[in-house]
Amino acid sequence: MNLSPESLARMIDHTVLKPETKRGKIKQLCDEALAYGFGAVCINPVHVEYAAGLLEGTDVKVCCVVGFPLGATLPEVKATEARHAVRLGADEIDMVMNIGAMRDGDRGLVKRDMEGVVAAADGRPVKVILETGLLVDDEKREACEIAMEAGARYVKTSTGFGPMGATPYDVRLMREVVGDRMGVKAAGGIRTFADALRLIDAGADRLGTSSGVAIVEGYKWAKYSDSWMKPVRPCWLCPSRHASLAKQPKEVYLWYKQRCITCPHRDENIFND
Amino acid sequence: MIPPDDMTLLRISLTRQTVHREELSADTFTRYLGGRGLGVKVLYEQLHAGVDPLSPENILVFAVGPLTATTVPTAGRTVVVTKSPLTGTAFDSHVGGHFGAHLRKAGYCAVVVEGRASRPVYVWIDDEGVEIRDAKRFWGMDTASTTDALREETDSKAEVACIGPAGENLAKIASIITDKHRAAGRGGVGAVMGSKNLKAIAVHGTATPPVDNEDHVREVVERARRLIKKSPVTNKSLPVYGTPVLVDLINEHGMLPTHNFQEGTFNDVDGVSGEKLLERLHVRRYHCYGCPIGCGRISRAYGEEVGGPEYETIWAFGPACGINDLEFIAAASHKCNLLGLDTISVGSTIACAMELVGMQKLDAPLRFGSTDGLLELLEDIAHRRGLGDRLADGARALATAHGAPNVAMHVKGLEIPAYDPRGAQGHALAYATSNRGGCHLRAYMIAPEIMGVPVLVDRDRTDGKAELVILFQDLSAAMDSLIVCRFTSFAWSVDDYAELTSAVTGLELDGRGLLRVGERIWNMERLFNIREGFTRQDDALPQRFSVPLPEGNSRDRVVHLDEMLPEYYRLRGWDEDGRPTDEKTRSLGIEA
Repeated sequence: MNLSPESLARMIDHTVLKPETKRGKIKQLCDEALAYGFGAVCINPVHVEYAAGLLEGTDVKVCCVVGFPLGATLPEVKATEARHAVRLGADEIDMVMNIGAMRDGDRGLVKRDMEGVVAAADGRPVKVILETGLLVDDEKREACEIAMEAGARYVKTSTGFGPMGATPYDVRLMREVVGDRMGVKAAGGIRTFADALRLIDAGADRLGTSSGVAIVEGYKWAKYSDSWMKPVRPCWLCPSRHASLAKQPKEVYLWYKQRCITCPHRDENIFND
Repeated sequence: MIPPDDMTLLRISLTRQTVHREELSADTFTRYLGGRGLGVKVLYEQLHAGVDPLSPENILVFAVGPLTATTVPTAGRTVVVTKSPLTGTAFDSHVGGHFGAHLRKAGYCAVVVEGRASRPVYVWIDDEGVEIRDAKRFWGMDTASTTDALREETDSKAEVACIGPAGENLAKIASIITDKHRAAGRGGVGAVMGSKNLKAIAVHGTATPPVDNEDHVREVVERARRLIKKSPVTNKSLPVYGTPVLVDLINEHGMLPTHNFQEGTFNDVDGVSGEKLLERLHVRRYHCYGCPIGCGRISRAYGEEVGGPEYETIWAFGPACGINDLEFIAAASHKCNLLGLDTISVGSTIACAMELVGMQKLDAPLRFGSTDGLLELLEDIAHRRGLGDRLADGARALATAHGAPNVAMHVKGLEIPAYDPRGAQGHALAYATSNRGGCHLRAYMIAPEIMGVPVLVDRDRTDGKAELVILFQDLSAAMDSLIVCRFTSFAWSVDDYAELTSAVTGLELDGRGLLRVGERIWNMERLFNIREGFTRQDDALPQRFSVPLPEGNSRDRVVHLDEMLPEYYRLRGWDEDGRPTDEKTRSLGIEA
């Protein structure tokens, strides 16, 4: 893949979403975003005003999460949270959709939830987090369609707090649904430049990661060998390998594992390595 | 300032009791930098084929590099280069601590020790000059006592590199110790020192090494420090647990060599883990000169504060011998440091002896899992007494003497360290092609194959591994010539090392240029070894690695060296027998 380090950096939302985050960490995040030319910093609402002050007049956007990480609060609360985030300086909103409603098939509620945030964002890009690890493929596809109808600008794979991170499989599926009408943001478990390049290759145009520095710095190794990007075992990248009964609803977990039975790489799936 | 003004080479003839200073030429500096590169160049040009490593004709080079004692993090290391009595190869053995920084501050980039003194001596170096002094009263002392006594006789702030009884008695697995517990451990460099009747070098320097561009250095060093802080390995794992953090990780991958590499999983791993060391024996961290990582440990064993133990030592006296007693391991590590013994080679040789006993090839009171008599055995190895004398020449000599050479787990005579190569094909290739024998640090393929740094590559694949091994070998040779700690490579890339070098020295050097220096050093070592009679057949691994591991997460695997070695030779620009072609040596500017 012919991608300059600068272009890679512009695709990264430099992220800190841990509850214990102190102000010093936000300062560091913003400094790094400026130094490396990241597209945005992705933070919790309590840090938006501070980060916006630090990044004022720069190209680095402030991206704020809403309804995070569960997505299970009221549409009105998400809209209010988004409105306040925008007032405090957020340039972009990453909202977690109502995952339970999606699984209930309550399309109207899911859409209304998104529309409220889109309206509150007042023209600023909204990214809808599907939390793909809690959904089966049909639900992912439908969620993408609803997000498109609701006026969101991106669909995003995961919170990073859920059962799975971003996989090329899910990114590819989401890109197939939204085409070039929306962006696709991969997030969760992206730690190395190889992870990043595989997701971009699958169709992601934004990456949410707390390892932005490691990814861009690590990318400097790429020019010294093509071997870093040798194909890896299919199971490594497959969401079914990462399925967990402890973290997922039973039927979702079993759906993922059922895919293994019919997988063309079934014979390679002997040990978990 | 190419080379830096203070990089003077000190040549000491112990036979003639003379000292000469030589200026480093710009050409040598540009092409070899210092440290390992400089040492190997001196060795290659000065020795002829077939020199007995323990004869006066061998030389012993203590070298530092252009980054040493500057503000560049971790740049306080020293390399010892010689022809190894254990392997017969060109050999570079590295040590942390503070010795190297003082040597550079005294104004020297290398000390080349030649000949043999007629009686025990030590060398005292400070800002004012160099003296060869009588060391008769220190002969026989352990390394800690020697260090204390020499500080009393020279300067309380002096740094001391010395041998213990093992080096004096020419044990081929003898080390050189600095700071009482940092070891230039491998290859029997301590025996070479002992063969020269050189008990120690003590040094105290105070000058500040010059740098080319102070502002640029400040900028790149600040960035380098930031990257160390950003890496979870250098900012979390190593500071918190030290190198023993690897015990669990390598065991989980089924690659923790157990019972002399007969298995890859140790059932009692919890008892010897980094976490257990922290809970039971930890006293405080230890930092080498200029190091923000602080991976060193000071522990308490049997009521005494001891240096270490490191991961490799825990493995060597632990799982390799089937032992689960962490406090014993720490005590054994301490005893090796006092005696001046390499913990990896000693532990591996004892494990080899335990297997020989099990095979009824050796009659000795040794068995896997038992610590009985082992601390006393270490004394016997260092003093070459009884069974100890048979173990003092390493595993290859021991196993060969008892009719079971395949039980010695070595490459080119150097005992293989704590990673079973059946679980990582690239690491296997790195072992086999290592110029100094069974070594994990010539190309630390565990980083990409197990730790995922900079990216995780499939440890079972063979294609593409030759290219990565070469990259790591060349980079490591360059790093060893600057000299900075290997652990920085968890945080820095090739370009970072080049930028640091440029800022400090003024050399116009990019990443590819730095790798070219490393490649030159690697090829020169290879040519030295070929001159000594090494061939393609020596780029081999013990037969055991062709037998699948029975259980654990590397089960059913064998090493596929035959799939990687031809590709490695080809990419190196060597012929099918592993000899650098004329074209290659010409392009590197080496006279074959």
